[in-house]
Amino acid sequence: MSNNAFSIDLSRLKKQPKTSSTKDTDQVAEELGFSSREIVKKRGRKPSPRTGQVHAKVMPDTSVEIANEAKRRGVQQGVLIEEAWQLYKQNMATK
Amino acid sequence: MPTVVVASPKGGAGKSTTAVLLGTGLAHAGAEVVMVDCDPNRSLTIWSKRGTMPQRMRVLSDVTESEIVKTIKNHDNDGKIIIVDLEGIASRLVSRAISQADLVLIPMRATTLDATIGARALQLIEEEEEALDRSIPYALVFTMTKAVKSKQHSGIEKSFREQGVDLIEPPLMERAAFSALFEFGGDLYSMPEQGNMEKAIENASLFVQAVYQRLTGDAQ
Ligand SMILES: Nc1ncnc2c1ncn2[C@@H]1O[C@H](COP(=O)(O)OP(=O)(O)O)[C@@H](O)[C@H]1O
Ligand SMILES: [Mg+2]
Repeated sequence: MSNNAFSIDLSRLKKQPKTSSTKDTDQVAEELGFSSREIVKKRGRKPSPRTGQVHAKVMPDTSVEIANEAKRRGVQQGVLIEEAWQLYKQNMATK
Repeated sequence: MPTVVVASPKGGAGKSTTAVLLGTGLAHAGAEVVMVDCDPNRSLTIWSKRGTMPQRMRVLSDVTESEIVKTIKNHDNDGKIIIVDLEGIASRLVSRAISQADLVLIPMRATTLDATIGARALQLIEEEEEALDRSIPYALVFTMTKAVKSKQHSGIEKSFREQGVDLIEPPLMERAAFSALFEFGGDLYSMPEQGNMEKAIENASLFVQAVYQRLTGDAQ
């Protein structure tokens, strides 16, 4: 068949200028249900592994000191209690 | 050089077959072609490894939502035609590929279900045109059509025509050679004889020419 053969004139192919920003199209796509299917890393703080609780009322100056020390080291107050507990156990073991 | 995006949120509509027939046809006619496989099922990648790839053709695999725009930009300025094959779902990746398209082809079996789901792609394109303030030409391709058109087919075709939707002529008929592409890899010229090969090659070639006319602005 003679109409099978044709050749391409590359100079005649047209291309439009396009923006690489996808902000606007992402939004209309989202509204039409064309949303992201990629697994994105969860943002924000990971849940703490410290799920246990102690119920401790202490003297006001002790609570202030613990709060200040935790703030200074940038850890949660529970970390100090964990450390104190380790020391306590060591202490008991050597008695 | 232009980017052709093959898109439909319907699985099994004939996207990958359309992409392979177009890509191999354009390469056969002398163009350099880059096929971009965005489908996690990797149809094009598997096809490319099955048989001998036509000359002047490359397949880029596993292109994701965050890479698609850059990937197209990196290849569309050096004398190549880019063809993007997508997964049959509604996703942001589909919308981003369309945002970079010079032509979107929407393959569709001529059934009411396919037409309904395929119409979602048309809606997306139209909204993207508005968001980008540029026209994104698109055309429907009926796939797996039968020699005798069903009533359903004629009805769907009529309704799209009335809406002014561009329909590619000829459609891609249901042919043994077309479904064998994924079995043998390569193109219609390299595969062992399947059914009426001459008719298949003619159908594919006329289809590719119809798409080419849309890339040069000669259609209508
Ligand atoms: N024109 C056609 N003739 C015969 N079989 C076809 C034709 N188009 C697609 N198929 C077959 O239909 C199935 C789905 O086609 P495919 O191109 O993979 O669709 P999609 O990429 O949209 O999921 C495949 O098995 C393919 O070989
Ligand atoms: Mg596919």
